[in-house]
Amino acid sequence: MPNVIACFKWVVDEAYVRSGASGDLDLSSVDYKISDYDKNALEEAVAVRERSGGVVTAITVSVPEAGKGVKDALSRGPDKAVFIRDPAFRDLEPSQTAAIMAEVIRDRIPFDLILCGEGSSDLYARQVGPRLAEILGIPCLTGVQKITIEGNRLVAERRTEEGVDVAEAALPALVTVLPDINTPRIPGVRDTLMASKKETTVIGKEDLPSLPRETMKTLSMKTASLKRQGVRFTAQRDDVAAFVDALVRKGVLE
Amino acid sequence: MAGIWIFGETRERTLELLTAGISLAEASGQTVSVILRGDESLGKEYVTHGAGEIMILPEIAGDQPLEGYVPVIAAEAARFSPDLILFPATTRGREMAARIASCLNTGLCSDCTAVTWNFESEEFEFERLAYGGAAVQKIAFTARPAMATVPPRTYGPAPAKETREGTFRHLPEPPPSPVRIMERKKRERSARDIRDARIIVAAGRGFAKQEDLEIARSLAEALGGEIACTRPLSEEYHWLPDELCIGLSGISVKPQLYIGLGISGQIQHITGIRDAGLIAAVNKDENAPIFQMSDLGIIGDLYRVVPELIEEIRKARGE
Repeated sequence: MPNVIACFKWVVDEAYVRSGASGDLDLSSVDYKISDYDKNALEEAVAVRERSGGVVTAITVSVPEAGKGVKDALSRGPDKAVFIRDPAFRDLEPSQTAAIMAEVIRDRIPFDLILCGEGSSDLYARQVGPRLAEILGIPCLTGVQKITIEGNRLVAERRTEEGVDVAEAALPALVTVLPDINTPRIPGVRDTLMASKKETTVIGKEDLPSLPRETMKTLSMKTASLKRQGVRFTAQRDDVAAFVDALVRKGVLE
Repeated sequence: MAGIWIFGETRERTLELLTAGISLAEASGQTVSVILRGDESLGKEYVTHGAGEIMILPEIAGDQPLEGYVPVIAAEAARFSPDLILFPATTRGREMAARIASCLNTGLCSDCTAVTWNFESEEFEFERLAYGGAAVQKIAFTARPAMATVPPRTYGPAPAKETREGTFRHLPEPPPSPVRIMERKKRERSARDIRDARIIVAAGRGFAKQEDLEIARSLAEALGGEIACTRPLSEEYHWLPDELCIGLSGISVKPQLYIGLGISGQIQHITGIRDAGLIAAVNKDENAPIFQMSDLGIIGDLYRVVPELIEEIRKARGE
């Protein structure tokens, strides 16, 4: 019966990102959420348990405020959670997140399979999964749309530019999942109530070796300029004709 | 200065990365090396396109994945310490780059949209999109080597130059990979490649059922354009193939005219049309974000507006 770890990230909901003064990013009124594709990772971990039994552990590295995210993750079906948190764990680089997770997973959480989302909704760097596999020295499969576990063996369908590769690896292994692998559940009231009864292990910075150094520096983070002319028309027939006239004048109709 | 390395996955992607690599090499006073698998003649071609050195990976068994070369490339980079390594931002390129970056204890700029050499600070600077395309992040490296994955078609192919000389060397064989490929299924393209289409009509969640996409098709036909869609239509409903999905997780397009029908304008989709000439939208919700990012917008029900739009387009063309 496999022990499955589902990794997730508590991220800024990009729908709330606003442009502040001089194009700087305004994150003052943002909401947070579990990164979209990480919901697929959590769902798939629970699906593996439903098919093969075992235990599902949700894990995240974040700031203390992400406790809300841990509860949200637990309401999606995992048996327990590991919350690695510290005020210093804001804006970590993928290399740092992977190193911290590897440190905790290696000695403290038994696992056969680690599931990650293909990339996070905020930075979409798609690095933590493969980096984590590399540090732990386990097989890595990215861009996966289907997994099957047969005993000690994992078979995964991996989407590539040319088509689909069917690949196999011995467990333990790490898989990053694409959003079409499943449809994440929407937790109900009962799930939320159950979540608060589940066990969460909290690990602080003091329980870990020193934080790995940064490898990059952000020089600037500006809102992307998507400014357009913004001419509006109503659905009146005259206005529809005026819209077409505008297309003609712009020279896009041949 | 120890050079700029490019991982050459396919010929097309490699020629694009050579364009970036050569201009950075000229600016920073370095040479460009390409790592490729198997074929020496392809290496000769890359030399005529500007590469100074070719590193050839030995062929591996058919059931071995390309990622199996990770330990060899990582060891070579640790030994020769290049300043910059570029990978194509493909499924395999991204994974290899992340794992090699991990081996080298360095960073990686994923899906880099621009790399430049800053003459003042004498370092490479990288741009990428964040928050689903809502923000542009500019980064530099504090560790070495700098590494980046570059999306396909970010750069045009490097032109062939006059006869040039390059050095060739062979890299060692990798250890057997723990991942084995049992089968490679080629995708049968079920749709045309719309990345070069002049006009694109894209459909979003405003369409109630699959048959209604005929409305979008008729408009595309009247305009002489191609049809495309947002992610939910291809990935959730499977109404259209993945190749027609525009956005962060799909393709990027740069048509002269883009018309979005029933599309709210989520940033992940808009990111894929940021280089379009003219952006137009039809949506019944006047507060839909797409109107903030459009040149022209009709506030109205697409089911009623589009048939009239088609008539007016025919009229304007004198049909």
